[in-house]
Amino acid sequence: MQITASEELGIESRARYYEEAGILRDMIQNHVLQLVCLTAMEAPVAFDADAVRDEKIKVLRALCPIDAPEAVTEKVILGQYVAGQIAGQDVPGYQEEKDVATGSRTPTFVALKLLINSWRWDGVPFYVRSGKRLPKRATEIAIHFRRLPHSLFGEGASAPNILVIRVQPEEGIALRFSAKVPGERYRPRTVSMDFRYGRTFAAASPEAYERLLLDALKGDQTLFTRRDEVEAAWKLVGGILQITESKDHPAPFRYPAGTWGPHESDALLNSDGRAWRRP
Amino acid sequence: MSHGEPISAGQGARGESGIRFDHDFDVGKVLRLLQESRDRAGGAGETISTLNLVAIYFSEAAYERARPALEAAARVHPCRMLVLVAEPKAQPESVSARVSVVRGAGTVALERIVLLAHGKEVRHLESAMTALLLPELPRVFVWEGRTEGQLFLHAVESADRIIIDSGTRPLSSLREVAQLVARGAPIGDLAWARIFPWQALAAELLDFPSLREHRGNLQSVRATCAGDVGAEGALLAGWFVSRVKRAKAELAAGAAPEVDSPIPGGGDGTPSEGLATAPVGRGNVVELQFTAPPVTFTLRRERTILTAEVRGDDDGEIVHRVRLPLDTPGRLLSLELKLLSGRDELYAEAAQAAARLVAERWTSS
Repeated sequence: MQITASEELGIESRARYYEEAGILRDMIQNHVLQLVCLTAMEAPVAFDADAVRDEKIKVLRALCPIDAPEAVTEKVILGQYVAGQIAGQDVPGYQEEKDVATGSRTPTFVALKLLINSWRWDGVPFYVRSGKRLPKRATEIAIHFRRLPHSLFGEGASAPNILVIRVQPEEGIALRFSAKVPGERYRPRTVSMDFRYGRTFAAASPEAYERLLLDALKGDQTLFTRRDEVEAAWKLVGGILQITESKDHPAPFRYPAGTWGPHESDALLNSDGRAWRRP
Repeated sequence: MSHGEPISAGQGARGESGIRFDHDFDVGKVLRLLQESRDRAGGAGETISTLNLVAIYFSEAAYERARPALEAAARVHPCRMLVLVAEPKAQPESVSARVSVVRGAGTVALERIVLLAHGKEVRHLESAMTALLLPELPRVFVWEGRTEGQLFLHAVESADRIIIDSGTRPLSSLREVAQLVARGAPIGDLAWARIFPWQALAAELLDFPSLREHRGNLQSVRATCAGDVGAEGALLAGWFVSRVKRAKAELAAGAAPEVDSPIPGGGDGTPSEGLATAPVGRGNVVELQFTAPPVTFTLRRERTILTAEVRGDDDGEIVHRVRLPLDTPGRLLSLELKLLSGRDELYAEAAQAAARLVAERWTSS
């Protein structure tokens, strides 16, 4: 599983908030862990607030804790952007942003390897990453199916299928799989079946906060986190913060704005024989 | 903030819309220009794209030379084509964008964006490219320059396939190519595609029932190229010795070519219309000879025909002829675009053997 929540934007005028929060509090504890829950949870017994949240909390409680220095070294990569280019424009580094302290160690990027201690997800790593000043704005969940143990049709045909749920932008679902290239030879090639809400339904989807405000008025709590969920999410993130914010912990790795984070983020997956998807 | 200066009337040659940025290059404006071009093309908003085709050049003239090949390939493979032209020494510093769309079968079948950067503005090309790529589609890079440098390495990291033409590069560059494919770089080579007919005919000869007995006795191979030894000859000999490990290989320069370019047939502006095949260019293979004593196999190019002769066999002389396909750069590029993923093991082994042959040739001379 790969979950990406990336932004082109930097911290804009929010340096005072961001210096205190960093990427783990700003994105992981809430947004990204919610995506993990929605991906990994079992089907609820009913589509109502409590039934959905009952299943999500099981996922959070089953997350393997990352609260020891060795576990953090192995499973957590923090980064901070330096000057670079995004979409053809020069952008400053984090420490050159207004109101950011010189020598700040606030992370603007994180990549995590999460494990869920459950029968269904045993041995399936959840790689999540989020960051500012990445090449493009994208939030997506990519489910990489298992590689075939043996391919009859050559190396290219054994590329695993991938189901991609695009949360934003261009909301939709894509399935990537191998197909035979027309012709006499057996040449497989990866192709994509792509559904996009915007192209299929003429009506625009409501903005995220429009929906939440309406739900609040209606008293529907399905999309709101319950107290026990919040506590379980903080338990994981708090364990990481306790170590990464200690004075002895190394400063975040640097990455140029406009790249997909520090090289160490790639190494996190490469060491497992995997690689990040390009959203 | 400068908002750029539209090229006169916003409409350039060949139905292209253009915009120039002296400062503050803005990819959003380029995308809006693309949308306007799509709207102007009329009809439904459907687009067919099977890939992102990114072509990188280091002079506008090089792009113009390659343009017919790119257009020919795009006719077969609907795509978003991004052409990046980096001229770091040109002035004044600016980025120009030219956008056009081509409709086919009622849908937009080609979206073409050409970004031309001068001076220090070339630094924006890579990030602009990232913003302009279509998601979920394979990325194929057509790379004209040397197979080295940061931009090339980034292309290697992010591409599903990189298509080069080692026939247009100095012979020594085969070494860099061999190192890259050894590391798993997904490289496709038009010079390799040009020698497919030679490989097919050589393999076909050795599969004749009356000639199979000689396969176990192959001892030497010599590839002769027009004018100078080129990458095609080195790859062909490299392919042979990578398949027949004991064979001794030799590279030789033969008679002068018909045209001086290594990529005739439209790739450099040489007209291909009216020709049954491309003329023989500098470095193109004109003869492949391999021996299995007392038998000699000679494959020779005679204009549009590839002729094979077998001498010394008990069954007498055999002459076999095949017509060469019209291998214009556009057709070869189209063929390469069908292979969007996976590593070509045969090419990888041939390139490494070719690099060794070239190194040995220099050492001995």
